[in-house]
Amino acid sequence: MLKLGVFELTDCGGCALNILFLYDKLFDLLKFYEIKEFHMASSFKEHDHLDVAIVTGTVSSQRDLEVLKHARNYSNYLIALGTCATHGSVQGAVEGKIRDKLEKVYGTRANPMRALDSKPVVEYVAVDFALPGCPYDKMELYQLLIDLAKGIEPVKKDYPVCIECKLNEYECVLVKKGVPCLGPITLGGCNAVCIRSGLGCIGCRGPLPKEANPTSEFEILKELGYDEEYIRKKFKTFARGELRW
Amino acid sequence: MVILEVGEFTRVEGNGKAEIVIENGEVKEVRVKIVEGPRFFELLTLGRYYWDVPDLEARICAICYLAHSFASVLGIERAFGVKVPEEIQLLRELGLIGEFLESHALHLYLLVAPDLFGYPDAIRMASKHGELVKEGLTIKSFGNYIREIIGGREIHGINIKPGGFGRFPTVEELEKIEKSCDELLRMAKRAVNIFATQEVFGAVPKYHIATDEYLYGEKLIASDEERFDYLEHIKEKALPYSFAKQSKYKGEIFMVGALSRLILKADRLTPEAKELFEQNKEKLSQGYVSLNNLAQAIELVYAIERAKEIVSRLLDKGIEGENVPIEPKEGEGIGYVEAPRGALIHHYKIDENGNITYSNIITPTALNHALMELSLYEETRKNYGTLNENSLIRKLEETVRAFDPCISCSVHLVRI
Repeated sequence: MLKLGVFELTDCGGCALNILFLYDKLFDLLKFYEIKEFHMASSFKEHDHLDVAIVTGTVSSQRDLEVLKHARNYSNYLIALGTCATHGSVQGAVEGKIRDKLEKVYGTRANPMRALDSKPVVEYVAVDFALPGCPYDKMELYQLLIDLAKGIEPVKKDYPVCIECKLNEYECVLVKKGVPCLGPITLGGCNAVCIRSGLGCIGCRGPLPKEANPTSEFEILKELGYDEEYIRKKFKTFARGELRW
Repeated sequence: MVILEVGEFTRVEGNGKAEIVIENGEVKEVRVKIVEGPRFFELLTLGRYYWDVPDLEARICAICYLAHSFASVLGIERAFGVKVPEEIQLLRELGLIGEFLESHALHLYLLVAPDLFGYPDAIRMASKHGELVKEGLTIKSFGNYIREIIGGREIHGINIKPGGFGRFPTVEELEKIEKSCDELLRMAKRAVNIFATQEVFGAVPKYHIATDEYLYGEKLIASDEERFDYLEHIKEKALPYSFAKQSKYKGEIFMVGALSRLILKADRLTPEAKELFEQNKEKLSQGYVSLNNLAQAIELVYAIERAKEIVSRLLDKGIEGENVPIEPKEGEGIGYVEAPRGALIHHYKIDENGNITYSNIITPTALNHALMELSLYEETRKNYGTLNENSLIRKLEETVRAFDPCISCSVHLVRI
């Protein structure tokens, strides 16, 4: 049996919750894994060396940083799970320094709880696998954990949302309707679920690694009449400053 | 002086803990510390175009994403003076019902039931009570199916938009809901029987607060028969030890959640849910926080019956699939929605170009924060010295759990 721990930093809880949404498949995983820590689901906790640690969320406080260091130090294989952990997601996109933000929202520059500017897990520690998505597709995680249990090198997706959109034969909302869609520069794996609704991709899986062409997307959106500030905010929402043009 | 530490809480969403200060054997003070980091959603949506905002707000919480995007859409539509037709209202209500089923089933079967049967989690409980866990997962996945077809995805779909939907569900998708209802209703009634046996604990709030309609509304209502906008009577203050702020209603501690909804709005329940409420009325009117669990079980019955009503109404008249067109203009609006764990408030000001200039979000877990501290205070006073430390801490965790807290939600609070 492999020892597994799930650690939540600051996030919406969705990446941990999505594990429970595996339903019957979760019980399949339990044939290979013994859960040593998963605070959303269990009061059972055993400080032990882990074969696999899953970390969700951003580092947004000193507490998060300590949890992350513990997870890294006590595990052989660390998975950064979800766009918060891999790219910073929405809280990573909020501009400004921590004390200015605290002042605006809590009315004081004091920081007794030791909040930090939100950053992804990958900025602090080396990770063995980064699986983005807000949330990730639960079957991707299932496959990853099965591969690890069987000693198979897990495969990383490397194509944009557009590929899945085409395979489903959805109408291209960017070209046909002029809807701002980030599908061309966003990593696929979601089965183009938002385009199924006739809505533009908002980029929740983060930028397509290496091959994204944000400059060209930027020009297309500008030609469609969207102003630069609007596009900049849209590009930034899930991936902080990663998309440059 | 002894400081008793409870935490971090397990089998709840998010990261929180409690500190209980004891001096000369007396409980002096209780602090519920929300240690989940701040995410500054109010700053994130500032200057953003209204159309994109519900998709961002959904990310506040995964368990109740649809309540957040719905409250956001309502606030925006009210700012523009937009009214949507019955079809869209019913479909949104149906989506929210899906969320209630998903969230209540998670809370009751996977997070609370292990306390009733003495297990650390539902996975270990499944070895002896497999049937019960399975029923919970069935209700949960049914709720998620509804979230998927209405909300666009199990978690963080973006289908609920100002003016309507990206995509309307098909007749076949709705028929599938109708077919499952009877079997699910039997399961939910079994849950009511199980949770009706739970002993009572926690504090009794002075007031209950909810939205004026059962699942959402135009105003809030309180148990002193007030009907009001939140700014009139709810005051918040920041705490040095927590990323969540604390609220009082007319200076007093209050509750939001399933128990509050039943106490304030039992007249609007569906037939079988109403009957179950009447059967348990005496117990529920004691008002202890722990009864929120039983109240949620009764709401499972309500949600399934109501889903059936809505679907049959929609199928009778057919789906037109027409959205309401929106012209952005300057305005201000508040959306009040019942998240599974209680009333949720989204308040916006929007400029003439449709960009957000002000936003304020108050979540149920933040509204319940003061009552949570009071409940821990009373439970500790009752049990300190008689229960050993581990049993006491377990009891306090059960008390926190009864609120079905969503800690991720609670840390994004008022913009001053």
